[in-house]
Amino acid sequence: MKANNFWVFLGKAIACTLPPLATLLSGYGQDQAKVVPAWEKELPESIGDLQAIQSEVQSKLQKVRPTVVSVEAEDGAGSGVVVTADGLILTAAHVIGESGRKMNVVFPNGYEVEALSLGGSELSDAGMLKIIEKGEWEYAPIALANSSGVGDWCFALGHPSGYDEKRGLVLRVGRIIRKKDETIQTDCRLLGGDSGGPLFSIDGRIIGIHSRISQSPEDNFHTSIESFLSNWEFFLHEELHTFGAMQKGGFLGVLCEESEDGLYVVEVVPGTPAEDAGIRAGDLFRQLDGAPLDTREKLSILVSSKPPGSFIVIDYLRDEKEISVRIKLGERFAKE
Amino acid sequence: MNLFFLLLPFFFAPVWLVGKTQKLAELLMPEYRLNGPSFGEVLGAGEEHILQSVVGLYRNEKLIAHGVIVHPQGFILSKASSSVGARMIKSFQGKTFPIRIRKRNEGTDLALWQITSSSVPWKAVTWKDEHNQTQPGNWVISAAASIQNLNFGVVSATSRPIGREGGVMGVLLEESNSSARGIQVIEVLPQAAGDRAGLRVSDSILRMDGRPVRTMENINRILQTKDPGDLLTLLVNRKNEEVVLRVTLGHRAVAFDLFNRNLLMSGPVSKRKDNFPVIIQQDLPLQKEMMGGGLFNLQGHCLGINIARVDRVTNYTLPTHVILPTLNMWLQDLP
Repeated sequence: MKANNFWVFLGKAIACTLPPLATLLSGYGQDQAKVVPAWEKELPESIGDLQAIQSEVQSKLQKVRPTVVSVEAEDGAGSGVVVTADGLILTAAHVIGESGRKMNVVFPNGYEVEALSLGGSELSDAGMLKIIEKGEWEYAPIALANSSGVGDWCFALGHPSGYDEKRGLVLRVGRIIRKKDETIQTDCRLLGGDSGGPLFSIDGRIIGIHSRISQSPEDNFHTSIESFLSNWEFFLHEELHTFGAMQKGGFLGVLCEESEDGLYVVEVVPGTPAEDAGIRAGDLFRQLDGAPLDTREKLSILVSSKPPGSFIVIDYLRDEKEISVRIKLGERFAKE
Repeated sequence: MNLFFLLLPFFFAPVWLVGKTQKLAELLMPEYRLNGPSFGEVLGAGEEHILQSVVGLYRNEKLIAHGVIVHPQGFILSKASSSVGARMIKSFQGKTFPIRIRKRNEGTDLALWQITSSSVPWKAVTWKDEHNQTQPGNWVISAAASIQNLNFGVVSATSRPIGREGGVMGVLLEESNSSARGIQVIEVLPQAAGDRAGLRVSDSILRMDGRPVRTMENINRILQTKDPGDLLTLLVNRKNEEVVLRVTLGHRAVAFDLFNRNLLMSGPVSKRKDNFPVIIQQDLPLQKEMMGGGLFNLQGHCLGINIARVDRVTNYTLPTHVILPTLNMWLQDLP
């Protein structure tokens, strides 16, 4: 192990001393070879790397600290994060519970305001709130879609076990263990009351919202920011998308997997509108009624927010051929 | 407020287990995780330096707490209420030595132990007391002597005193209009201390431990001096008859169902986790048997003693500046 480490270290040392070809060719007066930041390495290689990660987290923490709120209702307390100057708050669907509900928001400095719950989706556990009082609120930046990935350093903030004036916000630092569809898993340990609080990338942008845990210390799950970005207008203006509404809404009958180009159909359920329309496993869904399909949740929302019997148009790719099909939505099978 | 939002991952399974053809999601292998098996190597020689100064304390062959070596003659500091009855320590090389208790302090929950059969000079920790090393975001390290493993985490919240939790009766009280009639019970929480002692709705509490109580202030002042488990004698007026009840006070958390689900998700926590003069809060993934061990900075200096596992995301550490006055006094006392 020791020898192995040594060679790894030596290899890195050589790599660092030799400037890349581009630098050699670009001539005198150019910048030095680009140094890889500590948090982009597979593992920190020195105490200096750990200190660099620490400084980065601490400087971003100071910036985003005032934006992380506690969200209180009669039946519990969660967390949230302000994302616009006019007081839009991202939180978890299970924190707001339903649309149009008045909730109490407490800032880290103790300032309290009322907020109204907007929409969201129980599928990904995404929720939105809007501060009622007019004001210019401090807010945290949101990461671009698909800018976070497995292995990235991140930090979690929230009010576990509710707001505590003397304790203040609670910080957790960790890495992304898994990222799949609407969910990010990290080793930033969460507890009740954290729900709805923000997961930040090391550069201080929101990449997720705390959602759920199991007893294992590494089972901490966050709704990915992509869920919000993909359905922003729907969450903002429509009722909370619930499991109940999904049962009653239109039904297509496919299982999909997300990819960079669209949604891959992995299974077509026999006897469903999808099968009747000739959809097959391996087809790549691109658009629904002209709206690009980038997440499975978006497909679910677009389909089940229409009543059974209504029509949708799906554009998909099969064997590099573009096909457009009009499908009459059915009813979801009754659960046994 | 009796519920804190966080879902159990019951619908996480269907989210990920879609279709048979799906490949396993990309996973960060354990060795790259913050508390993975190889993370400690980043400290180089510092890893062994930390492990050398930490020991496990055992009672009947069972690990009950950790401790740090504070003197070359084999003196060990640990958490008093967790290390009760310890008989031996195990060093990180796996060697065992008998110990005996020398001092303990109620206020800080610290205990001083001594290794009784060893002539080897022991390697004591180097203390560090720097406020700027215990700010939120600062890396902190703890060592499990028994499995030769380091844990990494950060200071996670503001350092502060932790007040006494106080024992609770688990009843709701109201000052009655006529001061002569004492304090009225308006609700009794089922299964809580008051319920088990036989307290009923519309009882009026006249005296507590012999002292007359006329205001809520009187009652709170008495309860603040009591801990969970303490006995309290009540003189109660029930339908114009005087009744004496004995209440064994309970924990606030249990009585009010406040943290029950959070405790369920946390696993075993320290019994004593209140009443500390000041603490550093950190997010290390520590079991309660890790309490009494040291909290170290990246240089391997000791910032304090881990004094309570509170829940899944919270541990308290007693900082060096609280420990040293007591420790130095103890060491001067001893031959």
